Amino acid sequence: MAFDAIFQPIEIGNLIIRNRVVSTAHAEVYATDGGMTTDRYVKYYEEKAKGGCGLCICGGSSVVSIDSPQAWWSSVNLSTDRIIPHFQNLADAVHKHGGKIMIQITHMGRRSRWDGFNWSTLLSPSGIREPVHRSTCKTIEEEEIWRIIGDFAQAARRAKEGGLDGVELSAVHQHLIDQFWSPRVNKRTDQWGGSFENRMRFGMEVLKAVRAEVGDDFTVGLRICGDEFHPDGLSHDDMKQIAAYYDATGQVDFFGVVGSGCDTHDTLANVIPNMSFPPEPFLHLAAGIKEVVSKPVIHAQNIKDPNQASRILEGGYVDLVGMTRAHIADPHLITKIKMDQVDQIRQCVGANYCIDRQYQGLDVLCIQNAATSREYMGLPHIIEPSEGRKRKVVVVGGGPGGMEAARVAAERGHDVTLFEAAEAIGGQITTAAKAPQRDQIAGITRWYQLELARLNVDQRLGTYADEATIKDLKADIVVLATGGKPYLDQHPEWGYSENPEESLIVSTWDVLNGKVEPGKNVLIYDALCEFAGMSAADYLADKGAKVEIVTDDIKPGAAVGGTTFPTYYRSLYEKEVIMTSDLMLHKVYREGDSLVAVLENEYTGQQEERVVDQIVVENGVRPDEGLYYALKQESRNKGQVDLEALYDIKPQPCLSEDGDGFLLFRLGDCTAPRNTHAAIYDALRLCKDF
Amino acid sequence: MLDILLPILIFAALGLAAIGVVRRVRLWRQGRPSPVPLVKGLASVPRRYLVDLHHVVARDKVMSNTHVATAGGFVAAAVLMVLVHGLGLAEGVLGWGLLAASATMFVGSCFVARRRRNPPSRLSKGPWMRLPKSLMAFSLSVFAITLPAVGLLPDNFFEGSVSWVLALALSAVLVWGLGEMVFGMAWGGPMKHAFAGALHLAFHRRAERFSTRGGEGKRSTGLKALNLDDQDATLGVEKPSDFTWNQLLGFDACVQCGRCEAMCPAFAAGQPLNPKKLIQDMVVGMAGGSDANYAGSPYPGQPVGEHQGSPQGPIVAREGKALVDAETLWSCTTCRACVEECPMMIEHVDAIVDMRRFLTLEHGNTPNKGAEVLDNLIATDNPGGFAPDARMHWAADLELPLMADRGEAEVLLWLGDGAYDMRNQRTLRSLVKVLRAADVDFAVLGNEERDSGDVARRLGDEATFQSLAKRNIATLSKYRFQRIVTCDPHSFHVLGNEYGELGGPGMPAQYEVSHHSTYIAELFDAGRLHVKPWKGGGVTFHDPCYLGRYNGEYEAPRSVLKALGIELKEMERSGFRSRCCGGGGGAPITDIPGERRIPDMRMGDVGETGAELVAVGCPQCTAMLEGVVDATAEVRDIAELVASALTEAPEAFAGAAQQSSNRPQAVEVA
Repeated sequence: MAFDAIFQPIEIGNLIIRNRVVSTAHAEVYATDGGMTTDRYVKYYEEKAKGGCGLCICGGSSVVSIDSPQAWWSSVNLSTDRIIPHFQNLADAVHKHGGKIMIQITHMGRRSRWDGFNWSTLLSPSGIREPVHRSTCKTIEEEEIWRIIGDFAQAARRAKEGGLDGVELSAVHQHLIDQFWSPRVNKRTDQWGGSFENRMRFGMEVLKAVRAEVGDDFTVGLRICGDEFHPDGLSHDDMKQIAAYYDATGQVDFFGVVGSGCDTHDTLANVIPNMSFPPEPFLHLAAGIKEVVSKPVIHAQNIKDPNQASRILEGGYVDLVGMTRAHIADPHLITKIKMDQVDQIRQCVGANYCIDRQYQGLDVLCIQNAATSREYMGLPHIIEPSEGRKRKVVVVGGGPGGMEAARVAAERGHDVTLFEAAEAIGGQITTAAKAPQRDQIAGITRWYQLELARLNVDQRLGTYADEATIKDLKADIVVLATGGKPYLDQHPEWGYSENPEESLIVSTWDVLNGKVEPGKNVLIYDALCEFAGMSAADYLADKGAKVEIVTDDIKPGAAVGGTTFPTYYRSLYEKEVIMTSDLMLHKVYREGDSLVAVLENEYTGQQEERVVDQIVVENGVRPDEGLYYALKQESRNKGQVDLEALYDIKPQPCLSEDGDGFLLFRLGDCTAPRNTHAAIYDALRLCKDF
Repeated sequence: MLDILLPILIFAALGLAAIGVVRRVRLWRQGRPSPVPLVKGLASVPRRYLVDLHHVVARDKVMSNTHVATAGGFVAAAVLMVLVHGLGLAEGVLGWGLLAASATMFVGSCFVARRRRNPPSRLSKGPWMRLPKSLMAFSLSVFAITLPAVGLLPDNFFEGSVSWVLALALSAVLVWGLGEMVFGMAWGGPMKHAFAGALHLAFHRRAERFSTRGGEGKRSTGLKALNLDDQDATLGVEKPSDFTWNQLLGFDACVQCGRCEAMCPAFAAGQPLNPKKLIQDMVVGMAGGSDANYAGSPYPGQPVGEHQGSPQGPIVAREGKALVDAETLWSCTTCRACVEECPMMIEHVDAIVDMRRFLTLEHGNTPNKGAEVLDNLIATDNPGGFAPDARMHWAADLELPLMADRGEAEVLLWLGDGAYDMRNQRTLRSLVKVLRAADVDFAVLGNEERDSGDVARRLGDEATFQSLAKRNIATLSKYRFQRIVTCDPHSFHVLGNEYGELGGPGMPAQYEVSHHSTYIAELFDAGRLHVKPWKGGGVTFHDPCYLGRYNGEYEAPRSVLKALGIELKEMERSGFRSRCCGGGGGAPITDIPGERRIPDMRMGDVGETGAELVAVGCPQCTAMLEGVVDATAEVRDIAELVASALTEAPEAFAGAAQQSSNRPQAVEVA
C-alpha cells in the first residue's frame, strides 16, 4: 500500500499516535493576551488535526518562568494557571479530530531579549552573551536553578490539567537546559558544570521534577540537537552520550532530534533549512541518536513530501517524521495523501517566510498559503463552490496574485480565463527561481499549474491582454494582477533607457532571465537589500563574473530573513563577491568600452568610482497601471476595493449588486509593490466570495 | 386410413421418445448423486412452472404470451391428441378441445416465427430456426386431422383418391411435427428444454428458490459447501460427470434464449465468456462430442468448433484445448446476472465455481494474482497480505470499542478487508461517524476479525474459505450481539448466507446481518439521524451485485438517498438488472483480458444518466468505478454521503446528545 509506512500508528508513552507525521514545535507568534492559546492559536492547530496530522507539538519555546520573556515572540506562557482553560480549548479542538497535542516547554536562559516588557535579567550558566539576540545575561545562581526546575514541573502540571497529551522539554536551540549541557556556554566549576554528570544535572533535575509532578501516565519527551556544529560545542558523539544518559532513566518517552545548534546566525540557518539545503540534510544525526535510545525518535528538517517521508520511515532512520513547514503550507497534507490527491498537496518550497517573520517577532505566515493561521478569520483552506450564479471571471497576469485569483475563482465554480503575456505562468517567481539555490521557489508555480489544469482554467499563455480583448470576453469580473516593471528610471543620472542599446544599467530581472549576457566585471547597486539583489549577485558570480554588490543600506541582504541571508552569504563569500554598504549610486557614465559608476557615501558625501563592464540596479518595482486606468472608468465599481469588507474577510458589497458591465479589481504589484504573500492573500480574501 | 395411421404414428413417436428419455436420463445419471424427493418434486412442477418460472419469463411480455400460447397449446394438444387420435376418444368436448389447443398453439407458433424472422444476436440459430415451422407443422396437421373428428369435415373427408394424397401429405407434416415435438424432445432437439426443463424444476438443487403455498420463494444464492473430508472424491468438478446429476439435468434445460448472454458483463467486455455457450458446452460434454454444432454467439475471441469433451474427459485441459478454456471460467465476476435472467432457473455461477474449485484445489492453477492472493489469505488472513495486527491502523484515532473488551454490543460492526484500503477507510470512518451520531451501541472485532473468505471461495479455494469461516465463527461465538452490520456486501453475503452451513456443535452460525444501507435506513426511520438537505448535483445509484441480486436489497439504499433529499437518476440497468462493476468473484485478481473494461462500461451507464455522482455501497464497486479514467461522475459510498450531510440534532435531542458526551466524539472522515 502506498505510503503505508506513514500510516502505522505508534505508541509514545501512553498515547497512540494515528500516523507517523508530526507537526513539531515551532514558535507561532499567535499567543495573545499574555501568552494564552487563544482563538487563532486553537484554530491553527485544529486545522492540522482536521487535516489528519498525527501529533502536533505546539508552542515552540513556550516559557515556564516569568523571567524567560514571552512577549517578544507572543509565545505561550506556562508560568501561570491562567493558561489551563486555554489549553482545554486547544486540546478539545485537536482531540475532536483524532489528533494528539503536546506542548514544548522551556526556559530560554540567555537566548532572548531583555530590553522590554519586564526588562528581565536574562540567565545563563556562565553569563556569556548570546550572539544571535545580542543578549547579555547574568550567571545563574543555585536558588534560581531550583526555582526554574520547580517552574518546569508546574508548567508540566498546567499542560496536563489543560488536557494536553504531553510536554516536550526543550534542550535544543541553546535553551537553558542545553546551555548547561554545552561546554561552550557552561564554564561552571560547581556541581552544575564541568564534568559530564554535572553538566547533565540541570536537565536531569528538570526531568525528575516534571515526572514527579505529572506521574508516569503523562507523556514527556526531550528535544535535543544532533550536533552543535561548533568546534567547542557538543559533537554528535557527545549528543549520543547525552541521549543515552537520559534514555537510561526510562523517564523520557520520546526524543526529538534537530541537527545543528543555533546560537550564531550561521548555525541558525541550519536549524530550519531553507530551499538551498538538500532534503533531510541532518537525518543522519537523528538516526545516530536513534541508535542509542530505546524510545521513539522524531526528526524534522526539510521533510516535505510524502514520498520522502515514506522513504525515511521505511528506512527505519527515525520513528516519526516532522513535517512542520509542510503543514504550514498545507495543513491537509495527510488527508490529501489518503484521498490519493498527492498532486494537490501545496508543498513547502523552503522560502522560510514563516520562520523569518517569527525571528522578527511577527506572526508566522506562509508565503503561498494565505489561509494558514487565518482560519479564525474565516479564511478557508478548502474553497467551497459558490451557491450563487456562475460568473465569467477574467484574470490578467499569471504571477502569484493572478494564479491565486484564478484558482480561487475556479474553485468557486466560475468560468475563469487567465491571461499571461509570458509563455508560462509564474510571474516574478519564475525570475526568482533562476538564481542558484533558489530554484525550488518555482514549486509555488508548479502547484498552481497543477491546480489550474485540474480546475480547467482557460489559460491564455503568451497572450498580452489589452482593453479590447478583455471587453470581448464580456466578463462579469476582471481581476488585474499585471505586476510591474523594475524601477530603473527613478534617477535620470543612472542612465536608464528603454532602448537596451542605449541603457547604461540593467535590472536584476534582465540578469536572472538571461536577457543580458552576464558581464565579467559587474557592479550591482541594491537599494532594497532583499532577495533580488543577492540572487543576481549569486547568479553572476556563478557565471564567473567578478561582482561587487553595493547598497546605501546597512548591508546587502539585510532585509532577507534570518534563516536565508546566511545561506546567501555562504555562497557569496565563497565566490568572493564583495559586499559594500553605505554607498548610493550617484551617477553612471560610459567611458570607452567601460561603464563608470559614481558612488557616494551616505554619511560623508565622499564620492568614489568603479570602472566595470556591467551595472545592475535593483530598485524595486513600479506598478503596471496602464490596463487598470484603461478599464477603470467603464467598470461598475470604478476599480475600487471595499477595504472594510476585504480586511474583514467579507464579500465585496458590489458582488451582490446588480448591474451591467463588469467589476474591476486589482491585486499585487500592479497596485503597489509588496511581496508574494501579500499578492496571494489579497487574491484569496477578495476572490473567495466571488 | 388415417384411423389406422394416426395411432401408429402417435404411439411410434411416443415409443421412440421413451427410448430417448431413457438414454437422456442415463446421461444425467453419470453425475454425482444428489438426493431429491422424487414424488414431491414432480408434484411441484406445475406450480414452479406456472408461478416461479413464469415470473422470469413474464419480464418479456410478448415472449411470455407467445410461450403460454405455444407451450400451453402444445401440452393440451399432445394429451388430447393421444386421447382423440391415439385412443379414438373423439366424442364431444375432447375433439373440440384438441381443435382449440392446436389453434392456440398455431397462433403462438406464428409469434415464434415472427421472433425468428430477425432474431436478436443473443438467440441461438441452427435447429432453433426450424422450430417455428415444426410448431406450425404439428399444430396445423393436428388441427386438420381433427376437423373430421368434430364433424366440421365429413368423416370420410380423407378418403377417396384426392383426399388420400391429402391425407398422406398431412401425415407427412404430422410426422415432421411429431418428430420435432415428441421424438426430438427426448433425443436432444430444441424441444428437449420442455422435458429436461420440467424435470429440472422438479429436482432443482435449490428447491428453496421456488414458491410454495406457504409463500414466496426465497433467494438462494449462497454457494454450497464442498466436503473436504471425502478422500476419494475429486475436489470440485474436473469432468462433466463430476457435476451432480441434477446439475447436468439443469444444463439440458437451457433454451438458448441468450438472456444470460445479454446481461453478462464479461461477455459485453469481450472476455472469453458467454454463459449460454458455457451451459451448451456442458451439454456437449455430458453427451460427448464437439461444440461445432453450437449455433449461438461464441465466447468472444474464440471460434466455435475447436473444443470437445466427453463425460469422463477433463473440462479444462492442462495443456491445449478440451471442453472450455480456463480463461472462460476465470472471466466470471459471479455477479449472478445470468442466473437472475435465466427463465429455466439454471445455476451458472454454481457450475463455474465448481469447476474453479477443481482448478484451484487440485491443480493449484489460479491465474495471475490469484495464487498470490490465496497465499496471502493463508498466511495473513487477508487478501492483501497485510500484517494481521495492522487491521485497525485506520482507526487508531477513533477509539472504537472492541468486542474483546465489551463482550457484547447491540451491533457488531464487521469491517471487512477494506480496513486495509485507504479508500475504503474513508467509508468506514464515515460509517463510524454515522453510528456515533445516532448513538448506536456498537463494537468491532478489531484484530480478531479475519477476511470473510469471499474471495477465496469465489476463486475456488474452498479449503481456505472454510478455514477462515470456521475461525470467524469461533470468534463470533464468543460475543453477544443482536446483529452484524457491514459496509461490504461480500462480507454481508458470506456471513449471512454461507456461514450457516459451517457452524459447529454449540456454535450456530446463523446471524442477522445487515448491509449498512439497511441499517442506516432504519436509523433514519427511527429519527436518529439528522441531515442537511442535499445541495449537490445529480446522483445515480449503482446496485452492488452482492447486495441486490444476492440479497435482494434494492430499497434501503434508495430510501437512505431519499432521506438525504436526493432524487435519483436511475440507470437503465439498475435494480435486479444492475450491471456488475467487474469487481466480484475475484475477477480483478484473475484479470482475464477482454476488449473493454467492465467498470468503464458501467461508468458509461452512469454517464448516460447525466449524474455527477454515483452512490455506491460496496468497497469493490468503489474501487472499480473510481479506477475508471476520465470518469464523468464522482464515486461516493452511501455512508460518506450520510456522514457529510450530518447536522447537530435539533433542540429536542440536545439533551440526549449531552448525556453521552463522554464517549469519543466523531472524527473527521479522511
